[in-house]
Amino acid sequence: MPRWGMVIDLDRCTGCAACEVACKSENNIATVRPDQADMGRAMSWMKVETKIEGDFPDTRLSFAPRPCMQCDNPPCVKVCPVSATYLSPEGIVGQIYPRCIGCRYCANACPYTAKYFNWFAPAWPDSERAHLDPDVSVRPRGVMEKCTFCDHRLQQAKENARAAGRPLRESDFQPACADACPTRAIVFGDLDNPAHRVSTLKNDPRATRLMESLGTEPKVYYLTQKA
Amino acid sequence: MRAWLTGGAAGIAIGIAVAVTAARWAGAVTQPVAFDHRKHTQDLKLDCALCHPNVAVGQHPGLPSVEICAMCHQTRLGTSSASAQVTGYVTSGRPLVFRKLFGLPPYVFFTHRRHVAIAKLPCADCHGDIALTTTPPRRPLVTITMNFCLHCHLKMHQSTDCIACHR
Repeated sequence: MPRWGMVIDLDRCTGCAACEVACKSENNIATVRPDQADMGRAMSWMKVETKIEGDFPDTRLSFAPRPCMQCDNPPCVKVCPVSATYLSPEGIVGQIYPRCIGCRYCANACPYTAKYFNWFAPAWPDSERAHLDPDVSVRPRGVMEKCTFCDHRLQQAKENARAAGRPLRESDFQPACADACPTRAIVFGDLDNPAHRVSTLKNDPRATRLMESLGTEPKVYYLTQKA
Repeated sequence: MRAWLTGGAAGIAIGIAVAVTAARWAGAVTQPVAFDHRKHTQDLKLDCALCHPNVAVGQHPGLPSVEICAMCHQTRLGTSSASAQVTGYVTSGRPLVFRKLFGLPPYVFFTHRRHVAIAKLPCADCHGDIALTTTPPRRPLVTITMNFCLHCHLKMHQSTDCIACHR
């Protein structure tokens, strides 16, 4: 059984936000009005955080793309009263939208703020409405949503591999963010498979995980010299 | 007074009957022609994939277009009125739009390819005796619920992971 995980090389990340755009497009993430975004109601399963250090002109910019950490010990799962969020056997923290009652306990439990509540009925600019991904549901108002490592791509990849009568290869399943990254800073694969790059990269001396002390066992690793 | 009560009761009964009938037929599916599945699949031994061309390659199996009917119905075959009707569609070039009978909620992601081409399940497992019907059913012959899916998945030792079907 694979254990899907991600390694993000922060030293390669240029902060272009291509991952963020690809994620929004791939997963039918609804847009909100600017005033609603100011109230913290915008949704972005993959969020590129920007940090500015130093004073002008001696400043240094650094970026950190932040998807759901897909914890092996997910706090969000523990608090869900209706089992709408759960840890799948392959290590993806799933969110079952029709089961979610929108209590937002999980959003409060997540130390990475990776879960988003649909405050409004989903809406897109007219120019984008025709481009919705048919493999991902459009979430209604009142439910939580989150990054699923583009699980729909995994299902498709499994189906293609089975139809071809061969095992799943590393290149078969890549989430939209990893696909879109121009500097290949985002690497995705099976953390337990020695043939996959992530299994080597996670043991890199530069590797670190966010808030490891909480014991959430995140499956997203960051590579950075500064750690 | 008694007549009024009797009349009122009869009115209520008729009202309930109308409401029940309306509810029963609210989701009924009607087809443009009286397609005979038995004739095509049993008597003529045609493969389901002839009229449902994407059944082994896509999510949706596809419904026959008038071009598929035209493969056989360029001229009237037999004496049935349905056959004449199909030939009428073919010769006039009018589109023949069949309607979906089986439907799933928008949050259920099912692919025919996985079940038909990979798992090699017979159509009857989910669609019942549709191949034996002589007139188009107005309602699905099998009520497909999550329990129905899970029962089969457990029996066949397949994944019951929620995100495999819901996302």
